Amino acid sequence: MTGLAMPLSDRRTFLKGLGVLGAATLVPGCATSSKSPGSGSAPTGQVALQSNLSSEQAKAAMEKLVAAYNKTGGSQVKLNTVASEIFRTQLPTYLTSANPPDVYTWYAGSVADSYAKKDLLLDVSSVWDSMGNYSKAMQTLSTSSAGQKIFVPTSYYWWGMFYRKSNFAKWGVTPPKTWDEFVAVCKTIQGKGIPPIGIGLGDTPWVASAWFDYLNIRINGAPFHRQLLAGQGNFTDPKVKAVFTKWREVLPYFDPKGKSFPFQEATSALLAGKTGMFLIGTFFADSAPKDALDDIDFFQFPIIDPAVPVAEEAPTDGYFASKKVQDVDGVKKFLSWLATAEAQEIYVQNSSGTAIPANPDGKSADTPLVQKGKAMIEGAAEITQFFNRDSSDALQPTADAALTKFLDKPDQIDKILKDWQAAAEKVFKA
Amino acid sequence: MTATAVEPQSATGRDPAAGPRRTKRNGPRRVSPLILAFVLVPFVVEAVWVFWPALQGFWLALTSWDGLSAPRFVGFGNFSDMVSDPIFRTALKNTAIWLVLFGGLSVIGGFGMALLLQRERRGVGIYRAALFTPVVFSLVVTALIWRVFYQPDGLVDTVFRTVGLGNFIRPWLADPDTALYAVIVPALWRQIGYVMVLYLAGLKAVDPALYEAAKVDGASAWQRTRYVTIPQLKGVNSVVLSVIVIDSLRSFDIVWSMTKGGPYHSSELLSTYMYSTAFQSTQLGYASALAVVIFVLALAVILGYLIRAFREET
Repeated sequence: MTGLAMPLSDRRTFLKGLGVLGAATLVPGCATSSKSPGSGSAPTGQVALQSNLSSEQAKAAMEKLVAAYNKTGGSQVKLNTVASEIFRTQLPTYLTSANPPDVYTWYAGSVADSYAKKDLLLDVSSVWDSMGNYSKAMQTLSTSSAGQKIFVPTSYYWWGMFYRKSNFAKWGVTPPKTWDEFVAVCKTIQGKGIPPIGIGLGDTPWVASAWFDYLNIRINGAPFHRQLLAGQGNFTDPKVKAVFTKWREVLPYFDPKGKSFPFQEATSALLAGKTGMFLIGTFFADSAPKDALDDIDFFQFPIIDPAVPVAEEAPTDGYFASKKVQDVDGVKKFLSWLATAEAQEIYVQNSSGTAIPANPDGKSADTPLVQKGKAMIEGAAEITQFFNRDSSDALQPTADAALTKFLDKPDQIDKILKDWQAAAEKVFKA
Repeated sequence: MTATAVEPQSATGRDPAAGPRRTKRNGPRRVSPLILAFVLVPFVVEAVWVFWPALQGFWLALTSWDGLSAPRFVGFGNFSDMVSDPIFRTALKNTAIWLVLFGGLSVIGGFGMALLLQRERRGVGIYRAALFTPVVFSLVVTALIWRVFYQPDGLVDTVFRTVGLGNFIRPWLADPDTALYAVIVPALWRQIGYVMVLYLAGLKAVDPALYEAAKVDGASAWQRTRYVTIPQLKGVNSVVLSVIVIDSLRSFDIVWSMTKGGPYHSSELLSTYMYSTAFQSTQLGYASALAVVIFVLALAVILGYLIRAFREET
């Protein structure tokens, strides 16, 4: 009751304020409806950069990057960092709005191409004129299905089977190269009373997709994998079932607790020696203490069929721009700068340091781990991105449901694959 | 005196002097601009931010839309898709379970607690406050706390082990058989306190003389509860029912932050399924259709009760 006892004048100003607030909320509603896109307005001299790199280190690195560019003169870049989950759900809204931000952080591959198909992205072919030294794989990844360059890659990272060197030494195992060796290592570690394979599916069920991706590209090859994820295959295909049959061989070695916690805790479990190995991307290092990282090494996902060309997952990050940008020259100039080795080094040095510059001339962090990762990716015959990047964010939940169910009830694999196909068809149809 | 003289004049509407006078006289009936503003400004805000999107939602339910291209009209296609959608059926079933368990247990628990704690005894305030505390927390915070309880070797596991039920331990939130119930518990933990407060307020309003009269007539404690307390709480009941039905159908935050509807849709509610179809699978048309279903369900339950309640009153 005391809340209402404020003096009358106070209450009036409060209510007045409320009215102003109400009126103010109406304004953005109008902003999206008025002003036609690119209505002959002159270059604004400002480029809006929408970033989803919201983790502390990555955000700081982006701020340094933008500050460095703004010193070079030309259009000033304004950085707007948004939490990645919000960014992901809002991106379609950004791109279709009448006055969208200019440049966006995003991922190469199918997830970028889906926006190009809707004709929402700026053709950056002219930016690529200065990017002749980029690898063929990077070029392919950045080209839309219509043949235009729509993406500027700036860095990539890799996935691998990470482990603690000291623990492997203690258990007397060496990194396996083939599937049989891998199973043998699992057996040995389990013999020591440690769950050999760590995983973190609670809250981060997508981590299981790494296993599906790798088994599929090792057994059926990258081209089959990409087609399947693009909706040209069928999840009930016996070739897909073969992936799960193989997976089942190592299911007993998975950490049963992994279903309950997210990958960050699975990382802690690995570092604490409570699990033996962990198939994960290098981003796990963000949530690991620095001193433990010196003891960390990884090995390539074991080879299953030597006849299949070796493919690796190397998710590539970078930028694309909205088709509706007003200051086209300013945006292209900024993108060209982002593609330089110099700009990518600024980012890599200031972020967690496990990302590798997309520009072959860019220097990555000088640790043996990163050098090894870089060598593995450069030696791969084929590069895949990751489940959601090779398909779409919309298909990812269907994989999460299917794969977590398989880990729980491997007997029901036929029904699981049938349900997965039905769910995927709905996504592809939408 | 003058007032009666003015009356016929103003009826002709010719006398300019009558204007201001009439305003004064009919003052209370004429709406002042300030009040109009108070009504219209919120109405306009509401119209733009609530009514218009709601109407759009109904329209989108009849389309297929990915958020990028223009919506494509599909008639009632989304609704017929639901019939054959196994996840929708799970979500509907879970929502029903949720409504019954979460709704039922919070009414029973809240009412029981209110009966226990209604009498002013020493320290009763502490108990009331303790039961009400969970209501103060945001549901997301509640979810985080309970996730820590449920984690492997966490509090729940420890308790089970200490009482010798170690065999029953499972990954509570990751097991499809327990996930939904493991989420209902923290939801109840919060809701019981809320319902208790509603009933406490209701019990305070019951005339003590009624109890005395019943006592004099030789009514037992049970009879007093059954024939005095419960009928007297009819007004509160309709509030509680509305609150519970609405809270059940909009339960989202706690499920989303604990299981995201997983593992593999086993704890999916209509609300979480709506969210994931809209913002993860970007099937906005189908998600709008799910929203319409939720709306219709809520309206049906509440309207049904309200109509009955009003009929009894008149």
